[in-house]
Order: sequence, then structure tokens, then C-alpha cells
Amino acid sequence: MSISKNLAEENVLLVGFPSNGLVGTFTISYLVHYLEMKQIGEIDHPDLPPTLFVEDGEILPPIRIYKKNNLFVILSDLPFDPFVAYDFADSILDYCKQNKIKKIIIISGMESMNRNPKSPKIFGLVTHQSLEELLYKNGISKFLAGSIYGTDAAMITAFRKSKTPALILYAECHPFFPDPEASIIAITTLAKVLDVKVNTTDIQKKIEWLRIQHRNLMEETIRSLQLQNQEKSQGRVPQIYR
Amino acid sequence: MNKKNNEFKLNILPPIINSFLNDDVDKQILSPLSCLREFGSNWILEFDLPLVNKKDIQVTFNENTISVEAKLREVYSEEKLGTKTKFEYFKKIITLPGKINSKSTTAKFNEGRLTIEIPKLTAGQKIKIK
Repeated sequence: MSISKNLAEENVLLVGFPSNGLVGTFTISYLVHYLEMKQIGEIDHPDLPPTLFVEDGEILPPIRIYKKNNLFVILSDLPFDPFVAYDFADSILDYCKQNKIKKIIIISGMESMNRNPKSPKIFGLVTHQSLEELLYKNGISKFLAGSIYGTDAAMITAFRKSKTPALILYAECHPFFPDPEASIIAITTLAKVLDVKVNTTDIQKKIEWLRIQHRNLMEETIRSLQLQNQEKSQGRVPQIYR
Repeated sequence: MNKKNNEFKLNILPPIINSFLNDDVDKQILSPLSCLREFGSNWILEFDLPLVNKKDIQVTFNENTISVEAKLREVYSEEKLGTKTKFEYFKKIITLPGKINSKSTTAKFNEGRLTIEIPKLTAGQKIKIK
């Protein structure tokens, strides 16, 4: 792996968690695999369901921290409810302060009515103007209009108020089915932003298997997003009267 | 990720106990993900059917249920708790909130996703407006 001078000079944090199409989870997991990043820590929260993953006798927590050189990753395998999402965002910001992280990049998925599954697009949103240049430099279309809710909104709200700027990359995807195909555009774009070479052959070969393997996580994520929607709409006029 | 052969595999939860919740392990049937969206004059019902060819899908329906069955073009296997489980089919039955208009229901299959468009039945008694 070759890391550009720019990246080597400042600490960057990538964040991925289950959301639309599981795009963030697929993208960040693939990068951790491809760049052979080492797990260096984990994040706990008392409101998260107690869950562990065991592989080859090794216990893996659901929210893990990885590192390689100046690149940090926080990867969650659990979808959050909005309250935990705020705490999660605060934990990320604390972590950024402790580790002198200068930039946060979040990967997520967004539903698009005119999506072409064969060539999904990617859009970028920045919390601070200082990151706008990244969009232009890497040919990323700006997210111009739309609604953001749930975990993504909680994160962006917290990051906007902080000193650490964040770039949120939204890949067009199917919102209710795992969409590893959409994550390929996110991986390619992220590689460009980080100035690293990433070959996506491994994930391309497994697209259909990944869609079957992660049905349960997709269902849990939808349940969590629906809960967020219900809470969001509480106290509002029913749709029929709007 | 699998450190033994460095093959790409995601360590994604939920835990093992839930993983075969809707699948029929004995009959080697997987339960596909599906979503139903309601629009003004129709429903769109989608099924995620990766590893499936169009010719191996069978869609049947009666008054208000739709059944989808499909044979996988290759055996899908998962290993949990040291046991390898193989699957060869997808199968799911969905109950719709209304009756199906059998004459104008259409289906298409693209990129492993089956999309069924079901117009709502509008026949009924006329209400006179005074």
C-alpha cells in the first residue's frame, strides 16, 4: 500500500456503520481488509445490546477501532437508535481530540429515484467549508438538496458544531437491500480522496454472496431506521392532513 | 476478515443465534429480503434474489398473496458453530393489504432484483356526489 505525503502528514478518521444499503459497512470493512489495518481498540455503550462476535476463537466487539499509519477507522456492526447515535458521535469527537485527527470521512448510502444500478453516483456533503476543495479536487458532486435523518443526521449535527471537519460521502443505493455494488463507487471515491490504490476485485467477485450473507443485518438496520422515522414523526400532523 | 487466507469476508453481526431465523435449513430454503411500497394507485413489491437466473423464478398469486420461489444457480453455504449449511432455493410468501388486480400485475427481473408492480383494484360501488 502506498500512502500519499498529504495523508501521511495528518490523521484522518473513517467512520462506517449500518445504514441504507449497508454501504458504509461494506465500504469501510473492505478498506480495513484491503489495507490490512490492525484493530487497536473498541467502543462500548451501556445502551447497546450486549453482543460479541467470535471468529477463530477471537472475541470481536461490535464497534471496533482500526489503525494503519495515520489512517484511523471506527467501524460499527450495530445499527443505532438516534439517542445512541448522539453518544456515538460524541465518542468519535473525543477520540478525534485525543488522537489529533484533522478530518473525518463518513460513508453512507442514499436512496435515489433515478438510480441506475449499473452506475450509481456518489455525492459529498461537508460540515466545514475547508473541505469543499476535496469535493472539487476529486470530482465529487455536491449533495445539493434532500433530507437526512436518523444516525447520519445525529452525526452531522454533532460534527458541524465541532472543530474537526467532516466529509460525508453518499452513494446511491437500494435503501432496503444490501447493496455492495453501490459500495464499490464509495470505495473508489474514498481511495481517490485518500490517495491510496485500492483494487476492488475481491468485493466484486462476492457481490451476490454478500447480499445473501447480510440479510439479517439489513433487516435490523431497517427496523432501526423505521424506529427513527416513527420517533421523528411523533407529534406531527398525520400525513393525510399535510 | 479471515486472517488465514486473507479472503474478503465481513465480520458483521447480528449474532449467530439469529442468523437462520427465517431460513428453512432442512429444506435448504433461504428467505429472501423483500419490501412493499404503497403508491397512490399501485404497490411495488421487490425481492432481492442474488445468485438467481430469471428462468428459475416462479411467481404465483391468489386473491391477496404473492409467492416467489427461485432456484439458486449455485449452492450457497454458510458455516456457523462448526456446521456447514447449504441452501439451494429462495422462497417467500407475502400477504398484501388489498386484493390483487390479476390482469394488470407485471413483473421484471433486473440485477438480481425482482420487481412486481401491482395496480390497486378500483372496482366497487359508485358514490353519488350531491
